[in-house]
Amino acid sequence: MKVALRYLVRNRRRTLLTLLAVLIPVYFLVFMFGFANANLRDMFETATRFDTGHAQIRAVPTKATGAAIPLMRDPSDALAALAEVKGIEWRTVRLDLPALASVGDRSRAVHVQGVVPEEIGPVSALADRIIAGSSLTAGEGGVLVGEELAHLLGVEVGDEVVLLGAHPETALGAIREPVIGVYRAPEATLGRTVVYADLATARQLARSEVAATAIVIRVAGVASPRDQTTLNRVVRELRAALPAGYEVKDWTELVPMVATYMGILTPALAIVAGIFFALGGLVVLNTIYLSVLERTRELGLILSLGASRGRVVKMILAEAGVLAVVGALGGALTGVALILVVEAFGGIPLWGAAAEFMREMGMSSVLHLSADPGQVALAAGAMAAVAVLAAWWPARRASRLEPMEAMRYVD
Amino acid sequence: MSTSAVMRTEDLWKIYRTGTAETPALRGVDLEIEEREFTATAGPSGSGKSTLLHLLGGLDRPTGGEIYLDGQPMSDLSKDKLAQLRLTRIGFVFQAYNLLPVLTVLENTAFVLELQGVPYRERLRRARAILAELGVEKYADQFPNRLSGGEQQRVAVARAVVSDPAIVLADEPTANLDTKTSLDLIDLMRRMNEEHNTTFLFATHDMRLLDRVDRVIYLEDGRIARDERVR
Repeated sequence: MKVALRYLVRNRRRTLLTLLAVLIPVYFLVFMFGFANANLRDMFETATRFDTGHAQIRAVPTKATGAAIPLMRDPSDALAALAEVKGIEWRTVRLDLPALASVGDRSRAVHVQGVVPEEIGPVSALADRIIAGSSLTAGEGGVLVGEELAHLLGVEVGDEVVLLGAHPETALGAIREPVIGVYRAPEATLGRTVVYADLATARQLARSEVAATAIVIRVAGVASPRDQTTLNRVVRELRAALPAGYEVKDWTELVPMVATYMGILTPALAIVAGIFFALGGLVVLNTIYLSVLERTRELGLILSLGASRGRVVKMILAEAGVLAVVGALGGALTGVALILVVEAFGGIPLWGAAAEFMREMGMSSVLHLSADPGQVALAAGAMAAVAVLAAWWPARRASRLEPMEAMRYVD
Repeated sequence: MSTSAVMRTEDLWKIYRTGTAETPALRGVDLEIEEREFTATAGPSGSGKSTLLHLLGGLDRPTGGEIYLDGQPMSDLSKDKLAQLRLTRIGFVFQAYNLLPVLTVLENTAFVLELQGVPYRERLRRARAILAELGVEKYADQFPNRLSGGEQQRVAVARAVVSDPAIVLADEPTANLDTKTSLDLIDLMRRMNEEHNTTFLFATHDMRLLDRVDRVIYLEDGRIARDERVR
């Protein structure tokens, strides 16, 4: 090891180059993973907190309902079964109805979502997204419209909207409700179509006092897509506990586009990581090979003095190992440090078209970064392993030198 | 055959092949090196001195014939076994590029002991002792590039004898040294030979060194031309 370290000190420039070849990929990967983590978490949060929940209990469709969610005429038995399942952090009953919103001569096809305001409060960001008027209050009536829909219908807070319920499993219902608030949706499509109402108000549209379309649940201990195993376990238990006529859909089924994006992102990251590892490994291979070539005579001397081939391999691998460990640690630490600095300043705000695009996609226009210790360790460990592996060939070559030929080597 | 022979060769041949051309470097060399002998092999350039030493030291394989070290044939040994033999039974002094530049004089001297697995303190103690005997202890903590050629060769001799090998093979150890330094080095090797009973065989083309040895083996065109007892 001492010989290995001395060679590293002697060839400072090459040592630095090799260190950077290990450090830079790890640094970028930690940063990239950090961005992807925060991005995934953001998408997951947007999808599950604001709208979908981690999973929903729905009625099994008995007839074609088109885009409408099948109606649960009385979900009390499902609620009773749900109460028996452990791990449910939160639940609320919701009624989603296709409807027509009319104001004067303007009308738009909308989606009325009847919610229990005091239940969605702790988990929904709806109250925080109100940009005019106020949020819903249980039993008070009134509706919330997105700023896009308000613009399309030409309504402001205080104006009345006529809603015509059009669920295929209910009789037509009609209500006239005041706009009590305008919200800013995370995604423009939602802002154009979703009208929020108190559950009791929405039930008037369905002409039923107990109907619902979903029981939305959040599961304890599920904070990101990586907690899917926990979610799957609870969903399994829930499916077993529910009476016939109900089904459970988790978020991957409810928002398949988000799940698909996440599914694509992981292998894409793996491919990028693979490219980084390969490039880093090639640089390490090259520098170690050059270093072996440069001291062919010295290696010849070591071999002629009686060092075994294994000893020479160990010596070269020790050099590579030191560089790999120091480089990988350096990359991990600088990567994590950068993430912490960026987050200390509140993330990276986007502006202009990029910010608008992110909002359209339902994502935050501030890029956040989040370091996952497991991923940091994986990136650093994998790169270190690749670096040592890359040194294997030059090490093997060094060990197979003929002592006398090597000592006669002229570079 | 003498029972006290450390090394013995039988009809030793070495032919270098380049394409279809064959260049014999050794042509049927038979010799015995006795224990505690201080022997030189002399001859003009290309006579086969270095080749003979490399074969005896297991650094190269003969084309024909056999080499015996302590009565054991070397031709059947694998590369790893040969390396082990070099490590434990043979000391080397080379003409140039002798010392590892990244190690201090002390570390260079102790390097062979380190390869042998001698504990740290013990190997440093032995290395210091031999450096002191050879008069270069004061350079123990310096790197080789701070030493003169003669001092570097003294350190190389120290490294060669520190592990008490059966034989020390020195290939033109004085080739890069001036006359006085060369004579000093040979005297030093002679002292090691006498005080430690170490067997030495060195190659030289410097005839001025030959009156300091027990025996001179003259090589010409890969054959032993004369084998003379000087003392």
